[in-house]
Amino acid sequence: MWGIFLESLVIFQNYVGYHQNKFLFGIFLFFLLYLWLKEKNKVCRALFVYVPTVVLVLFFCPIFRKVFVALLDDAETYYRLLWLLQMSMVSAYGAVKLCSKHRKIGLVVMTIAVIACGSYVYQSEHITKAENWYHLPEEAVEVAELIDPEEGRVMAIVPSDLIYYIRQYSSRINMPYGREMLIARWDYYNDIYEAMEEAEVIETTSFVELTRSYGCNYVVLKKDREIEEPLTEYGFTLYAQTENYLIYQDMELSK
Amino acid sequence: MTQVISFIFWLLVVPFCIGLVPVKCIAEKKRNLGVILLAGYLLMWAVFEVITIPAVVWIQYHNFSIAMNIFMVVAVLLAVAGIVLWYMEGKKNEGKTNWLGLGNLKWSEMSLETKIEWFLLFALVGFQLYMSVTRASFDGDDAYYVVQSLMAQQNDAMYKNLPYTGRSADLDVRHALAVFPMWVAFVSVKADLHATIVSHVIMPLVLIPLSYLVYYEISKVLFADKRENRPIFMIIMGLFQLFGNVSIYTNETFFLTRTWQGKAVAGSFVIPMIFLMLFWIFDNDLKKEKIEEKEAAQATGAEKKAQKERKKQAQNIGLWIMLVCVNMTAGVCSSIAVFLVTILLGIAAFCLMLVKRDWKVPVKLGLTCIPNAFYVLLYLILSR
Repeated sequence: MWGIFLESLVIFQNYVGYHQNKFLFGIFLFFLLYLWLKEKNKVCRALFVYVPTVVLVLFFCPIFRKVFVALLDDAETYYRLLWLLQMSMVSAYGAVKLCSKHRKIGLVVMTIAVIACGSYVYQSEHITKAENWYHLPEEAVEVAELIDPEEGRVMAIVPSDLIYYIRQYSSRINMPYGREMLIARWDYYNDIYEAMEEAEVIETTSFVELTRSYGCNYVVLKKDREIEEPLTEYGFTLYAQTENYLIYQDMELSK
Repeated sequence: MTQVISFIFWLLVVPFCIGLVPVKCIAEKKRNLGVILLAGYLLMWAVFEVITIPAVVWIQYHNFSIAMNIFMVVAVLLAVAGIVLWYMEGKKNEGKTNWLGLGNLKWSEMSLETKIEWFLLFALVGFQLYMSVTRASFDGDDAYYVVQSLMAQQNDAMYKNLPYTGRSADLDVRHALAVFPMWVAFVSVKADLHATIVSHVIMPLVLIPLSYLVYYEISKVLFADKRENRPIFMIIMGLFQLFGNVSIYTNETFFLTRTWQGKAVAGSFVIPMIFLMLFWIFDNDLKKEKIEEKEAAQATGAEKKAQKERKKQAQNIGLWIMLVCVNMTAGVCSSIAVFLVTILLGIAAFCLMLVKRDWKVPVKLGLTCIPNAFYVLLYLILSR
């Protein structure tokens, strides 16, 4: 039970950004406490004081966590229970209630507090300037456009940095493996992935055997990817190239 | 141009007209443009779920187009029904109905200070919308959800293939019952625009304002007597969304970085919507009790009183129906959301029962979770 509690604690710390020294949750706790002391309206008290408190207690309760995980068969999404706290709503309500007589000062103080304790979402490393309407990297769109068939389907093996994007451009491009291979904790094994990504230098003979057994019409390689012998000596032709990628077409499969 | 018209039709006109149906059953003072739109989206998504899930589970080929054609007909019929109801009510009340107002948001009566605060909020929301269009947010889950929408659009098949590779696969029950990506695909097909563009660009333009609409309605309940506090509440809410990225897990982060995914909609729209419904139902009850007491004291005509009571009960039924629709919308968004809203309603029922000293509260709220029970049952049967 102690172990389960500690697991919940770690999830909680990750959720609130404890290790990044983010204290937005502190603002929420402050206003939750304030509402515990000051809220008189019964319904507001029930929904903005009692409910978040019970949610917090349940979150750390090992038995509850056990039941939740067993029911959903998924421990990874337990953090979403904290969504029920509605941190922003409770904090905003508490703040307005506390500062209702000094609204301007209250707003300025809250703005400073939220900015200081929070983290600006658009500063996230996952957010970049959109390069096109698809919101996909331009070069991924370029590669996908080149191999997207007008009708039917093709099979293409692409480097890991394109895996997320190719099928977001066209679901007519099938792949021998996808995102599942990039998530280490999912622990999948795929022979062609090993040959393409894990080998220091691609061993052409066995690699070509694999691409043909999977029916790959196209092989996309990074320009700097090391390969024992050129694919062009194995029945492939250099179909196209972009700034960073070489696209080979297997002529034997095209026959 | 036709694409713009399609978006306006399917994302604004149809949900709005559908919303005219359920708002018929809620108190007139609660009806306004925003509430009608919210009610419309809730009913529309509930209907979408009822039509799409059976198609996903039991139809083998062309299940997407079959489900979408049925949904299209039902949605249009509901929209027409909404217009007819609105027209009839207007006729009955000799054009005095105020369904299409903006609620009690009166610009001319506001102080300059309040106007500036509202302007700040609009700037904050406008900035978030601008960033949602001009910034790309990388999220690995898009390789699943966005591709599911795209596969439905391009291959006319729902949940038949593994999105990561395109290989055929057994039904992935956990994701297949949450049909939000299919709704995105439906909108994409109707507008004839690539589902990835619709997900990443169009959906935030709809879902962000829709969530703020919920927050605004909550602010109206919380600050019913102090209107000037509403924009402050909303600005703080907006700031929390902008600076809530303390980790990749918060619902605030999901709201602005994965807006188009069902789980983000669950965190930022469905869960707040549950709070709104609970406030509407139970805060309303408190006020109703006071009114009843007053009426009893005045001892007006018994018949008139009974008539008023019946009207109020009928208006309350509309709110309960909307709560059922919120529960169903949770199922559209994500299967975990179904568990989350059920837990939330369970906790809220317990707390409200204590404060109101009414043991019927858990029973009533429990009844609204019946669709959730069906959902979980189907989930368990299909998972075996």
